[in-house]
Amino acid sequence: MRLGFFACLFAVFAVGPAFAQKQVNVYNWSDYIAEDQLKVFTQQTGIKVNYTTYDSNEILDAKLRAGRSGYDVVVPTASPFLVRQLAAKLYQPLDKAKLKNYGNLDPKIMAELAKYDPGNAHAIPWMWGTIGIGYNVPEIKKRMADAPVDSLAMVFDPAIVSRFRDCGVMMLDSPTDVFPAALEYLALDPDSKDPAELERAAEVLKAIRPFIRKFHSSEYINALAGGDICLAFGYSGDILQARDRAAKAAQKREIAYAIPKQGAMLWIDTAAIPKGAPNPDAAHRFLDFMLDPKVAAASSALTGYANANIPATALLDKSITQNPWIYPTANDRARLYTITPGNAEQTRERTRLWTAIKTGR
Amino acid sequence: MSEPIVRIEGLTKRFGEVPAVAGVDLEIARGELFALLGGSGCGKTTLLRMIAGFETPDTGRVIIDGQDMTGVPPHKRPVNMMFQSYALFPHLDVAGNIAYGLKREGVARAEIAQRVAEVLSLVKLDGLGSRRPAQLSGGQRQRVALARALVKRPKLLLLDEPLAALDRKLREGTRFEMVRLQERLGLTFVIVTHDQEEAMSMATRLAVMNAGRIAQTGPPHELYERPASRFVADFIGIANILQTGARRWLALRPEKIVLTSARPATAHVATGQVIDIAYEGDRSLYRVAIENGPVMLVAAMNVARAHGSAHRRGDTVWLGWSDDAGQVLDE
Amino acid sequence: MRLVIALPFAWLVVFFLLPLVLVLGLSFGTNSPDLAPPVELGLNLASFRLLFTDDLYLAAWLSSLRIAAVSTFGALLLGYPMAYAIARARPQLRPLLLTLVILPFWTSFLIRVYAWMGLLAENGILNQFLRWSGLVRNPGTILGTEWAVHLGIVYAYLPFMVLPLYSSLEKLDWSLLEAASDLGAKPLPAFLTVTLPLSLPGIVAGCLMVFIPAIGEFVIPDLLGGTRTLMIGKVLWDEFFTNSDWPLASAVAICLLILLVGPIVIFQRHQQRSLERT
Repeated sequence: MRLGFFACLFAVFAVGPAFAQKQVNVYNWSDYIAEDQLKVFTQQTGIKVNYTTYDSNEILDAKLRAGRSGYDVVVPTASPFLVRQLAAKLYQPLDKAKLKNYGNLDPKIMAELAKYDPGNAHAIPWMWGTIGIGYNVPEIKKRMADAPVDSLAMVFDPAIVSRFRDCGVMMLDSPTDVFPAALEYLALDPDSKDPAELERAAEVLKAIRPFIRKFHSSEYINALAGGDICLAFGYSGDILQARDRAAKAAQKREIAYAIPKQGAMLWIDTAAIPKGAPNPDAAHRFLDFMLDPKVAAASSALTGYANANIPATALLDKSITQNPWIYPTANDRARLYTITPGNAEQTRERTRLWTAIKTGR
Repeated sequence: MSEPIVRIEGLTKRFGEVPAVAGVDLEIARGELFALLGGSGCGKTTLLRMIAGFETPDTGRVIIDGQDMTGVPPHKRPVNMMFQSYALFPHLDVAGNIAYGLKREGVARAEIAQRVAEVLSLVKLDGLGSRRPAQLSGGQRQRVALARALVKRPKLLLLDEPLAALDRKLREGTRFEMVRLQERLGLTFVIVTHDQEEAMSMATRLAVMNAGRIAQTGPPHELYERPASRFVADFIGIANILQTGARRWLALRPEKIVLTSARPATAHVATGQVIDIAYEGDRSLYRVAIENGPVMLVAAMNVARAHGSAHRRGDTVWLGWSDDAGQVLDE
Repeated sequence: MRLVIALPFAWLVVFFLLPLVLVLGLSFGTNSPDLAPPVELGLNLASFRLLFTDDLYLAAWLSSLRIAAVSTFGALLLGYPMAYAIARARPQLRPLLLTLVILPFWTSFLIRVYAWMGLLAENGILNQFLRWSGLVRNPGTILGTEWAVHLGIVYAYLPFMVLPLYSSLEKLDWSLLEAASDLGAKPLPAFLTVTLPLSLPGIVAGCLMVFIPAIGEFVIPDLLGGTRTLMIGKVLWDEFFTNSDWPLASAVAICLLILLVGPIVIFQRHQQRSLERT
């Protein structure tokens, strides 16, 4: 097979972590696990943790596809990344017999995840959250006393979003996250792959484009906290982070989050073992450790995201578990949706449409 | 007498604490080939640069052709300069270098071409107009620099060490060529040089400079035969300087002394022993230690072909000179 | 001796030629998301065809060229007087001034770009100052516009402009300017006819050293630019990471390389010619 030659070349350039006995190579999002717990893991098991971090799914995707990444545990977002990677057979099936804490997992989240990973064969859910509306309470009120903050109209209705143009609006730079929301706003299927429906969603986005200061997937945290913008369409955890930063700042700002009443995307970050992981046994022990309620609870306290671990809920502070922005109400939870990835052609078409919208052509 | 082309009045210039030019008054007449002669650091180049306008004097005035040019930038002065390094533009060919000044004046293109061709022929560089300076020999470069300054027909041409970069043989030929050119064009040249032979052989008049001041001005023979000070006597040619009283000296040129085996019948005589002989072909230079006196230099022509010098080392010889053979100095 | 020659060659082969062959090979492949790496090798021209037929890519090229050209010109306008002043400064002072020019390199590039974000933001230092001073009551926001991208590129690449300019101006024989003045050239014509042509190699080198990385620049437009700023570096990133389309990303990279080799060859020719002259 001709690809063999190139695979060898990739191996030359791929710089993987060192191989050693009794070690587990973990590649995780930055600030995504309570790092003091890693020492506990080493004390309990004698396995050293080689811990490295990334801050975008795309980087992880490229590393895994290049082959011989050398990682034992990685944390991809379920859709579209885990799905695409599963299709490329990048993960090994889990040996559930080795996961004593497997029963702690929330069956509702497991059911959602099973849509991407049939039978939950390859991945366990780690954290989950929603995509919604973050806003600066007094600034929004000043401009529109009766602003529908819990509606997608807040960001997708030009008549409304235009009123906040002067104080700044940002939106995720992610077609996979924004198109479904625009479809939902049009009361269409958020998971639609129909080009005509996507074109309608694009029309919605083009109409609001002049009022968006920037499409970016992380800058809105600082911008919202620092008062540079007053409205953002982004990840629940990020907006909570902005709220905490704004509360600590010298010039206090009140930031709030709302799950859109039309429904919000549920995203799930998962943990999985790549094929060819050098230490699969240690990897299973690490996954089992992640399933430990104490570890999950400590990590949720750090990140402000809900975990998929039922016993962990009892260990968490009420300010987290009773915060409807983190653990949505049953009502909100019923309206969460997930999406499936498209094929390569659909992906490209959507990215292209997205670029055209962003650059205003 | 007509108005001098250059009149310099009380010119001074300091660089930091060091006075480079310390009070110079000078007049240069139209049509002269005037040389500024001096050792390095005597201020001659600074003086020239003040005439060209590259340096601004601290005090004093520079008047060129009757107009006060003090503080006028170089590009507005009716003066051109030939630089010691030639300062040819490396990105322009020979014709381009020569035409540069005419283009700045706004001379018509046809006239430029004609004047460039003329001046190229004048300096014997016909046909080399399209060469780059880097493709020329040292002598050719020197003539391009000259041509570039000449083509502007300046009232006054300043030349900073114009021959220093040439080798000895070429230098002597070029000297006469430049003098002929100057006479033919009727221009005024001011040459800065450290080479007294060059200054003496080319200039109609020269000024010897020392420590930022002019020590003496005059035609070459006057400076040689009638030096005004021990410095000038010593700087130009060779001189025996004999103290003849309190603040009185006699400057005596070696060739003005007769050297004989027997006592000569001149007004002044001295005897001594030959301690060194420098054989120079046409003549020999003897160093003679005078009894109870100084060592004197005496030159004698080698008239006979038989053997080298007429006297040998260790010979006792007589020196004699007339009353008017030397110049009496009081400074 | 052979080893001495072989080492740099081996370096070039392993770290330049091999990756280049790899990227070239990938660019003719077919995108296959279900493979790892997601490429089926072959001789498929589809990626190049898409690059030349889809106006999005053409627009990204043109916009990158425009941004790089404007920024390069800006860097030249700012860098030339700086290099000139350093070259004419007292010799004892020059090393210090040159150190000041490259001093920013001692801090991480990313941190410096973030610092510009802090300066240019809506509530940033610049606007706070403008409001406080009363000069402008409602200053617009520079951050997120193409101006901010130009500013960022000029700032980040200014040393690459100043250093080659300095090295050619420093070699300039100042007596040539005196000669020009002596021949009747006023300061501006003297600059245009002597200094400028003689510093041309430095201008060309400086411009290339700014222009080439600016075309492929990704970080500055991403952080300082607005969403409207479309640059080929971002397109490449999107193709590789977001779409996971390695062949198309490789084709973009190959075209970028070919586009940049042109000016370099012209520059080399120019250098060769000026070497022959002297």
